[in-house]
Amino acid sequence: MKALVLLSDGRHPVSGRPAPAGTELQAIALARGLTEEVAGLYAGPDAAAARTALGHGLARLEHRRLPEGDDPLPSLAAAIAAAAPDLVLAGRRAGAGAQTGLVPYQLAEALGWPLVPDVVALTVADGVLEAVQALPKGARRRWRVKLPALVTVHPAAPVAASFAIGMARSGHVEDAPGIDAPQDGTALEERPYRPRPRLIASAAAGASAAERLKAATQSAGPGGRVMVDPTPEEAARAILEHLRALGVLKPAPGRD
Amino acid sequence: MNAASALSLVIVALAILLAVEAVRVARRWHVGRPASVDWWAGLAAIPKRYLVDVHHVVARDPYAARMHALAAGGLLAGSALAVLGLVPPLAGSRWLWALAAIAFLVALAGGGMVGRRRYPTRPARLSGGAFQRLPLLLVGYFGGALLVALDAVLDLTGPLGWLGLVVASLGGFGLVRLLADGPMRHAFAGALHLAAHPRPGRFEGERATALIPADLDAPRLGVAVPADFAWNRLLGFDACIQCGRCEVACPAFAAGQPLNPKRLIQDLAGSFKDAPPAYRGSDYPQARPVAGVSGPERPIVGAGALIHPDTIWSCTTCRACVEECPMMIEHVDAIVDLRRFQTMELAAVPAGAIAPLSESRYAEEPGGRALAARTDFAAGLPLPLIAEKGSCDVLLWLGSGAYELRHGRTLRALVELLRRAGIDYAVLGPEERDCGDLARRLGDEATFADLARANIATLGRYRFNRILTADPHALHVLRNEYPAFGGHYEVVHHSALLDELAADGRLALAAAPDGRLTYHDPCYLGRYNGETDAPRRLLDRLGLERVEMERHGKRSMCCGGGGGAPVSDIAGERRIPDIRMAQARATGAKTVAVACPQCAAMLEGVTGDVAEVRDLAELVLAAVEAAVPQGAPR
Repeated sequence: MKALVLLSDGRHPVSGRPAPAGTELQAIALARGLTEEVAGLYAGPDAAAARTALGHGLARLEHRRLPEGDDPLPSLAAAIAAAAPDLVLAGRRAGAGAQTGLVPYQLAEALGWPLVPDVVALTVADGVLEAVQALPKGARRRWRVKLPALVTVHPAAPVAASFAIGMARSGHVEDAPGIDAPQDGTALEERPYRPRPRLIASAAAGASAAERLKAATQSAGPGGRVMVDPTPEEAARAILEHLRALGVLKPAPGRD
Repeated sequence: MNAASALSLVIVALAILLAVEAVRVARRWHVGRPASVDWWAGLAAIPKRYLVDVHHVVARDPYAARMHALAAGGLLAGSALAVLGLVPPLAGSRWLWALAAIAFLVALAGGGMVGRRRYPTRPARLSGGAFQRLPLLLVGYFGGALLVALDAVLDLTGPLGWLGLVVASLGGFGLVRLLADGPMRHAFAGALHLAAHPRPGRFEGERATALIPADLDAPRLGVAVPADFAWNRLLGFDACIQCGRCEVACPAFAAGQPLNPKRLIQDLAGSFKDAPPAYRGSDYPQARPVAGVSGPERPIVGAGALIHPDTIWSCTTCRACVEECPMMIEHVDAIVDLRRFQTMELAAVPAGAIAPLSESRYAEEPGGRALAARTDFAAGLPLPLIAEKGSCDVLLWLGSGAYELRHGRTLRALVELLRRAGIDYAVLGPEERDCGDLARRLGDEATFADLARANIATLGRYRFNRILTADPHALHVLRNEYPAFGGHYEVVHHSALLDELAADGRLALAAAPDGRLTYHDPCYLGRYNGETDAPRRLLDRLGLERVEMERHGKRSMCCGGGGGAPVSDIAGERRIPDIRMAQARATGAKTVAVACPQCAAMLEGVTGDVAEVRDLAELVLAAVEAAVPQGAPR
């Protein structure tokens, strides 16, 4: 079993100094839980940030040298084809600079591999990857995917290892030229972040102030039932009914 | 042949056995790394180091001091006099044996005190096992030898002398057997430890509390196996007499965290031996199970090794154990060396320490906060940047406490006081990186070295007379630990500066009686830097009723906030700040004065029946404001 972790040219969000992206470090920790053979892959001009990952448990880093502004995709795809890993892990979203967060998806498309986004736990058995995916509000979904596959790692994954200078020193970097892929000046515009207004349910036009307030402040949930001090039988029946209504459980036997 | 000359011969034989055992003990230290030791100066200094420095510590327990002086003094004097009995002109001299009898009588009194301390009930801090048998052997040797000497003086040549010889021989042989792995090891290892101490400066009047920089070019960073310790550190572990003073002083032990400095040193003393003697003292509280295997090349820390990681991460580096140790053992150095390997080679740090270490590395600030935001606390106060002035008299080092609301209040008071006293001050502002204290105590020497070099380069660009800080941790690092990286500064704590300003009359203080007050000494100010007087002088200028807690000054108890303990967060049965606050309340104080952002944060976190926590700067500002008549121009 061989795992490859994609590394980006990360920057610390506050200091702006070269720093590994948190989810990529968590990806290293997840991969090391599966196999000893974990390497990092970075394509770009300067590997200063990617190198820091060596101190967080990565033994080997493959650096594909590219001129500033080139598309890393062809280099990454070629390196992955050459290394033939079973699993490729990446961070979840763009961190700094001109990063788009799309590379894992484009890679999956180019390689023809399945991609599971936002994983928090991984296990492998008989060439099948079982990935737990994080969904909003703490929900989790289990995927079973045939290897090779690509996953992106969610911040809710187990914490990454701290930096150990001893590991950083013993890790080594393999430097090779990448595949030049100049991009056709898709100019990126940089704007300060502006929080977007929160979407709130709007009451029908002409509704009273009280109705508008209610619509704005009440969550439009699926509702539910409040049972005060029910008997265990009643409570169990209500839970079963609810689960059947959601389709989690099969309809009660004896009913169609 | 009479009993007296036979005793002389027995003692000579015991001395030869002793030398053989001593060589065996010393050979075991050979597994350690080499260390540069000034042998001649060290050996020559043993009497002074023993009589002054060791005695200074031992004498805090007057009973133990008398006990040791009698037993050890009598043992050496009596045995030496008895051996002199072999020199022909002195052989059979009654005067000689009378002197020997007096010496053994003195020793017997000491031996009796050793026993009195342990029987009928042994205090919890003292070890059992061979230690419990020690008084019997001492009394046997001293009592037997006394009989022989008396016999020689009174010329009895009766069976009493021969009986004494037998008892003395048995006792003496028993004592020699306790040299390699028993209580008597402390005498030999302790004396050599004084000569070859890794921090000889301790005996020259230096505080010598700065951590020793790790060799970052070494093939292995920190200490993984006993053989990674310098040999004189292994010697230091062997010097332990298991008196348990460290155990009593240790805040982590008091809080029921899995650390007992005495047990730790015993584990380390056993770590480089294949079959260490059983330990019969109190254990680590909530001791975690470990495999308990030892050997010079076996790992020390780990569940499958000798010491559980939680033990080394429980330490607050408060140095109370080092301060109390009569054998001058350096517990904190050992713990930091062990942490260094865990952190820099294995990345095996407690979960809570990962983020502060990462942020220290990538944001140069353990909280990951913007360096420019450090001065936000001072909104509305004049806080000139040194970059704009180029030079100043006092450079105010804000420290990481500046980001906290609580310490922000203290710093606002301090800045206001500087302004009123007309001090020419400035701050580094966004150029101030973390001093690296937290990273270093957590064993990340590499990050600390990076931060130290960056800060020293920044400070080198500006001219200032001295650095002022309200954070004793920063003070200690800047004053004592940066010199090893090439930064030499005059660093002053705000307590000392405010005291100076009040003494000069540059700050007019009005007595503001505010009930009873007690002062909590920060470890890094009191123990690490010996500054216990200035804060008290300053408080006394305020006209408050100041009372002392039982543990104060250099023997003060830690608040629990040092050494990265709050981020490592090893659970105990109690919390250290709760214990400390209870001690403050026991004095009847309404207010506990602090002089450190960590102490303020830890003590303010205590709930229930608490004293109000005020920093010295806040108290002084209140007194200064009280001195200004209402409506008068400031």
